[in-house]
Amino acid sequence: MISKTINLTLKVWRQNRSDKIGRLETYPAKDISVDMSFLEMLDVVNEDLTRQKKEPIAFDHDCREGICGMCGAVVNGRAHGHEKETTLCQLHMRHFSDGDTIVIEPWRARAFPLIKDLVVDRSALDKVIAAGGYISVNAGGAPDANSLPISRDVAEKAFNAAACIGCGACVAACPNASAMLFVSAKVSHLAALPQGKPEAARRAMAMVRQMDACGFGNCSNETECEAECPKGISIIEIARLNREYFKSEFA
Amino acid sequence: MSSEVKLDAKIPDGPLAEKWDRHQFNLKLVNPANKKKFQIIVVGTGLAGASAAATLAELGYNVKNFCIQDSPRRAHSIAAQGGINAAKNYANDGDSVWRLFYDTIKGGDFRAREGNVYRLAQLSCNIIDHCVAQGIPFARDYGGLLDNRSFGGAQVSRTFYAKGQTGQQLLLGAYSALMRQVATGKVTLFPRREMLDLVTVDGKARGIVTRNLITGDIETYDAHAVVLATGGYGNVFNLSTNAMASNVTAAFRAYKKGAYFANPCFTQIHPTCIPVHGTYQSKLTLMSESLRNDGRVWVPKKPGDKRRPAEIPESERDYFLENKYPSFGNLVPRDVASRNAKEQCDKGKGVGETGLAVYLDFADAIARDGEDVIAGKYGNLFEMYEKITGENPYKTPMMIYPAVHYTMGGLWVDYNLMSTIDGLFVLGEANFSDHGANRLGASALMQGLADGYFVIPYTIGGYLAGTEFADVNAAKTPEFAESVDAVQRRVDKFLSINGNRTVSEFHRELGLILWEHCGMSRNEEGLVKAKTLIQNLRREFWENVYIPGTGQDLNQSLENAGRVADYLEFGELMVNDALERKESCGCHFNTAYQTDENEAKRDDENFCHVAAWEYTGDDETPRFHKEPLVFENVELSQRSYK
Amino acid sequence: MNWFIEMLRSSIGKKLMMAITGLAFILFLLIHLIGNLTLYGGKELFLSYVDHLHALGPLIRVAEIGLLTFAIIHVSTGLILFWQNLQARPVRYQVDKRAGGRTIGSATMPYTGVLILGFVVVHLLNFHFIDHTQQTVFQAVDATFAMLPYVVFYTVAVIVVAIHVSHGFWSLFQTIGANHIKYMPAIKGLGVIISLLVAAGFGFIPVYVSFIM
Ligand SMILES: Cc1cc2nc3c(=O)[nH]c(=O)nc-3n(C[C@H](O)[C@H](O)[C@H](O)COP(=O)(O)OP(=O)(O)OC[C@H]3O[C@@H](n4cnc5c(N)ncnc54)[C@H](O)[C@@H]3O)c2cc1C
Ligand code: SF4
Ligand code: FES
Repeated sequence: MISKTINLTLKVWRQNRSDKIGRLETYPAKDISVDMSFLEMLDVVNEDLTRQKKEPIAFDHDCREGICGMCGAVVNGRAHGHEKETTLCQLHMRHFSDGDTIVIEPWRARAFPLIKDLVVDRSALDKVIAAGGYISVNAGGAPDANSLPISRDVAEKAFNAAACIGCGACVAACPNASAMLFVSAKVSHLAALPQGKPEAARRAMAMVRQMDACGFGNCSNETECEAECPKGISIIEIARLNREYFKSEFA
Repeated sequence: MSSEVKLDAKIPDGPLAEKWDRHQFNLKLVNPANKKKFQIIVVGTGLAGASAAATLAELGYNVKNFCIQDSPRRAHSIAAQGGINAAKNYANDGDSVWRLFYDTIKGGDFRAREGNVYRLAQLSCNIIDHCVAQGIPFARDYGGLLDNRSFGGAQVSRTFYAKGQTGQQLLLGAYSALMRQVATGKVTLFPRREMLDLVTVDGKARGIVTRNLITGDIETYDAHAVVLATGGYGNVFNLSTNAMASNVTAAFRAYKKGAYFANPCFTQIHPTCIPVHGTYQSKLTLMSESLRNDGRVWVPKKPGDKRRPAEIPESERDYFLENKYPSFGNLVPRDVASRNAKEQCDKGKGVGETGLAVYLDFADAIARDGEDVIAGKYGNLFEMYEKITGENPYKTPMMIYPAVHYTMGGLWVDYNLMSTIDGLFVLGEANFSDHGANRLGASALMQGLADGYFVIPYTIGGYLAGTEFADVNAAKTPEFAESVDAVQRRVDKFLSINGNRTVSEFHRELGLILWEHCGMSRNEEGLVKAKTLIQNLRREFWENVYIPGTGQDLNQSLENAGRVADYLEFGELMVNDALERKESCGCHFNTAYQTDENEAKRDDENFCHVAAWEYTGDDETPRFHKEPLVFENVELSQRSYK
Repeated sequence: MNWFIEMLRSSIGKKLMMAITGLAFILFLLIHLIGNLTLYGGKELFLSYVDHLHALGPLIRVAEIGLLTFAIIHVSTGLILFWQNLQARPVRYQVDKRAGGRTIGSATMPYTGVLILGFVVVHLLNFHFIDHTQQTVFQAVDATFAMLPYVVFYTVAVIVVAIHVSHGFWSLFQTIGANHIKYMPAIKGLGVIISLLVAAGFGFIPVYVSFIM
């Protein structure tokens, strides 16, 4: 292997559920190939820790392709790191320089209680979906798929909103720890489509109520979410959610 | 290793096209009022698991649904890119249920059941209808109707897609249906749980034992039936395109409780993946094979030629696929393309730092159609490639290499998707059923959803209605306590070995052994060697692995240890299976059995069967069973892509 | 009525209250600004504007009560939001960086808001709650802006208002659901123009009164 390597200093948040408070621990990350992904870099550090018979850093991950939404940490103050529209697993080490110090912290929000190190509990997002993020059809009764033409633009609009991977970076990045971008992505996706219209009003209301109940903060249009979202979800979806919500309340 | 009982697949009688209808009619029904008395465990929330859990709950059953990830939406199905097949014939290009059926059977090199595959082709149309009703934003044409593309060498356009995120959109559809049932209370979710054992009572599957991945608690759950939809085991190779948590553990635990494992050696290796770039590599990334429509695959003619691609003149390039297969060229099927790439690299003609890559060159396509057109077709793939490799494929050829992608093998199931254990059903990639020795592109999503939305809701009813159930209670029935004991002992054992090597080191080594000897091409000598190597590695693992941390906590090393330990046993089963199948078929390419054109040479006389393995004890040779495959409707032909 | 209160209590409902009351204040600011511009026309013009205004009598009272109610809503909702949002992240980040979404305006909303509240109180004490039989508004203006600290205070205050409006204006459209790639840039542009107008139009008055007049 002739690819370039760099040396880094990591400061990683270490905390167990049972610990009252956590702390940043410092670890060296040596001979990191710039072709590695951020998570592969953590793997290397973890292998080292294990060989020293220390406990490795816990972090969530699964697909490592930027689609499952499982990974995520705040890297030097930026959710999923500083590359635009990139999940942590797709962030590559060539975007760091030799000698850098990297501070790695978990998503922080009251609605995302810490489990261990960089792992947090995001089940609040599932609760919000359960409150109404669906179209109520049972398997078996659907008409022919082409019986309802949907213009390409509408399908595209719905798709753009549906691209959300539920990673929670919007919550982590929001100064208010609000989940509006996530919620709006689902509401917009379904409200854009004719199939989703019959329930659009009920859906928006139920999902917003549930979001509030989960302890997320209130949106104040800081737009940090949009800037950090790895899937490029736009705050236009939030405006749409607001409209849908008012419609549901006033109509 | 002779077969004792012939396995009965319970394929219904009658003409192919009527089998499923007749079967549905013949299946016993559960009275609507009685459905709520039944508990069903569904393990897995991928396309197969989520669709099954949601649909069973819609019918009124009580469902407990388990997954490893923190949310059901993150199951590995989310990563599927290309699309989902359906015999809608919207493109009016001659597709039909029959053609999809035939293509799937032929693509599987005649090692799948006619009855199952025909049903799959029939149900494919219902899937698309249902998914559109759920709000899945499939690609559409300007008239507002659904768009189709051709995929994986099919001669018709029957693949429905949502950009390069079809799996994501389909899974989010199934997930939303599931969450709707969670809200009604019909489904209880158990995320961050790993199933570590199946509990059988009187020979029937009656529950599972899981480890709560956060607290470390070993938990028990009872039910009237257990549905496994736990995905494929491609990660036995360590490096694959599968998500990190994909495992064989759930299926393997069921195997140890009496479920037969079918065709474990059938693994599909996908030709267009981003090559390995270092030993630290954790997974491989698939690039859609649609790239082969415009990219030209080549290597330098001279072995060891380390010049940069631009410096290698046309006359010194070997477009090996085009040269060897003039009529299909770069579009030969996955297994053929993969094998040939490896062959070139083995000759020392591989490119890149590791020498384990071939070029996929778009220069001609860009010169012909312009960069815009190519960007329009593959823009997001090119971006993804650049993000990972840091190289711009518009300027310099991509490098690709084959990677393990899908496992056709899985737990043996009959036509009802029931395994050899009564009440244990297996769906999706975890079963072996529909793809024979090779899966066609865009057919896995179809199978997972067909199983979950449209097959299991009927067949499980037939089982529940026709079975007498003893009273079982996870807290009281002794079988549960025994199982918890065994699981706990295993966890304690892992933590007490206190050796010197990490779990990942073992996994890496196992992966290399299998890749070398039980990968794209196999031979008897290599397989025999692999068997010994795996046995030795397994022995070392149990003596020398080190697992940090405790069992009462989130401990990812411990989770991995369990999975790798199972892989270390399962790897040997794969090798046994590959040794037993003395022919080449589909993805199982044994170099001793090839045509003059270096194609897989089947032996329909002796091997037109499903190989199913029965566990007989640790370190014992598993017992071999045979399910003969009967072809009444299609003629067995030899593939040729020259 | 229950649904209405429920709605207002939701996170989006609170935003809606901020947006609507904020919009009212922006409109008020613009009218106020137009009125005040008469100052640049000299004492007579300004006093005749004041007279005309006072001639509206009860209407003015209604407007005053309206503004007061809106102020209470805007301020109290703002404080609740501020408090709740602090609560939503009990453990802060050790390193906190912006991704490029936040602006000075958005990041300082609660603080500029409180400053503006303070300013409004002072402002009302200066010009509203004075004995209008003893002096005309013009005299009050003249006297106040003769003192340099007041000039500085007022000038800084209107800049703070402008910063507040720079986020508040586009934000209120976003909140009521009016965001579209086609017209959002125009709304944002208008927001900037209004902020600058407010800053320049009001900001220059103390300077003008104390140094030029
Ligand atoms: C990169 C990639 C691209 C692909 N593209 C396509 C495509 O375009 N078209 C196509 O048809 N197919 C494609 N496939 C194949 C297809 O995605 C999979 O075969 C299919 O999604 C498998 O679905 P599943 O429901 O069977 O399992 P999975 O989606 O793998 O789900 C498994 C579930 O089981 C759970 N689980 C596993 N083990 C346990 C355990 N021990 N305890 C508890 N829970 C457990 C997991 O948490 C998860 O929820 C692709 C595959 C890959 C890797
Ligand atoms: S909106 Fe973006 S940041 Fe938020 S959960 Fe979805 S993908 Fe992640
Ligand atoms: S691991 Fe799946 S998005 Fe990063």
